[in-house]
Amino acid sequence: MRGELAIAARSLTKRYPQVTAVEGLDLTVRRGEIYGFLGLNGAGKTTTIRMLLGLIRPSAGSVEVLGERVRPGQSAFLGRVGCLIESATAYPNLTVRENLEIQRRLTHAPQGAVDEAIEFLRLGEYRERRAGHLSLGNKQRLALARALLHHPDLVVLDEPANGLDPAGIVEIRELLRGLAREKGTTVFMSSHILTEVAQLADRLGIVHRGRLLEELDRDALRSKRRALLEIPTPAPDDAVAALSRAGFGPSERDAAGLRLTAEPEDVPAVAQVLLAAGVPFTGISPLAEDLEDYFLRLTGGEV
Amino acid sequence: MFGDVLRTEFLKLRHSRVPWISLVALALGPLGLALFMWIAAEPARAKSLGLVGTKASLLGLAATWPAFLTMFTEVVGGGGLLLLAFVIPYLFGREYQEGTAKNMLTLPAGRHLFVVAKFTVAAVWWVIIVAAVSLETFAIGFALSLPGFTSSLAVTALLRTLELAGVAFLLSSFVGFMALLGRGYLTPLGFAIGTLALGDIFSHTGWAAWFPWSIESLLSGTLGPQVATLPVGSLLVLLLTFLLGVAATAAQLRWGDNTQ
Repeated sequence: MRGELAIAARSLTKRYPQVTAVEGLDLTVRRGEIYGFLGLNGAGKTTTIRMLLGLIRPSAGSVEVLGERVRPGQSAFLGRVGCLIESATAYPNLTVRENLEIQRRLTHAPQGAVDEAIEFLRLGEYRERRAGHLSLGNKQRLALARALLHHPDLVVLDEPANGLDPAGIVEIRELLRGLAREKGTTVFMSSHILTEVAQLADRLGIVHRGRLLEELDRDALRSKRRALLEIPTPAPDDAVAALSRAGFGPSERDAAGLRLTAEPEDVPAVAQVLLAAGVPFTGISPLAEDLEDYFLRLTGGEV
Repeated sequence: MFGDVLRTEFLKLRHSRVPWISLVALALGPLGLALFMWIAAEPARAKSLGLVGTKASLLGLAATWPAFLTMFTEVVGGGGLLLLAFVIPYLFGREYQEGTAKNMLTLPAGRHLFVVAKFTVAAVWWVIIVAAVSLETFAIGFALSLPGFTSSLAVTALLRTLELAGVAFLLSSFVGFMALLGRGYLTPLGFAIGTLALGDIFSHTGWAAWFPWSIESLLSGTLGPQVATLPVGSLLVLLLTFLLGVAATAAQLRWGDNTQ
């Protein structure tokens, strides 16, 4: 089992004098999977990533990456890891090619790796442009090129969609999906954009206030998301009363009427209750709770 | 691996203006001295030049090669310490200022290699500046036709310049540590100014030979009688200071939390 894991964190904790950024976090990422690390800003995602990469020392707990125990300053495993942490940065006085050349030399990637990465991330036009003169989106592409240049076994990406336009986001999503499916690269990506991660990740970890609230795969997420029935009605109070008497609920009022927590197969019974009570309604539509709603429910509605 | 790290550290300086700025900064020293020599050579000029002329007169300068080269060695000693307080923090602190420290520290190379490579780059940088400014000084001296030039004087002055440049470099390893600690340029600069002030104080206490930042003044003679050669104890203090500074820098990079 251990050899199948790309990342194994046990009771990972980081305390600062004023705040505990991460507390008792257990995390397992299997090789070859795309793992989405979800959380609001300040939830502890970046601190966790920094501990995974040996940039900061955990106050307690341990991390293994690609089977190697991560210790401060220990760098051997980093040759098999590509990463983008928080913001995309590069030496502003150096060109795109020169920035990538630094990565190539120190990861011992072959001579052609720089050209390959430039082509892969569509940076050809900017090859000889200084990094300081790149747009935010192209800086992000450069950072991704740096992370992927040496064909790492594990890619750790902190908010990889930052600064990218919608087309760029789709392109990077496809690129990461291709890496995982075709090359078996493990992708660990953090994001606060929940729908973005949900579209890509095989498994999700939801972190909140430094704690891992839940870890689940996409099927489990689908099954856990609440089923709702949307009922447009001019008399939502009457509808709620009638449905409560019949044992349905809970329900929430919205502008068009109400949303009832119920399965799609309950539609005939709900319709029957409303008709019997004489409550006017214009339709009943099954809805799946979206990921944002699920996330908010899980975190107690905190944003 | 060290060769690769060193090459990348030199590559990071490409297209950067900072090495040129540092060269120009130290090159201004001999130009200022040339102005003093020019005034001292013709005291009548002092009257027409206001403050600068008065200052030059007050120094009681003689417009000769020995005086010119003595002042030049003092510029390299004192000015070098301040210049290195920019150069070394630039190499270390820029990684934090430009947000690239996290990139550097997630490369598969020992962190101590980056420290040694950056100090090596600083040493090469410093040697080039000192060589260029020495050439400039001799060119200025000949252009001013100063009297009293002898080859033995030139050799002695060059050796003293090298000694002072070496001392300035050995004293500067702690500014690398300060740049990592402060994650930028201000902390090391403050440290450099503070140690220069402490050096000044210690040079009047009889402990000048033992306090690292006073030793430079023994060689240059700026704060007391000049010594021909440094005592062995002072050399050991300098070497120990340098090694401790490098070790502290390496330790900070290896074990310090990098939360940039």
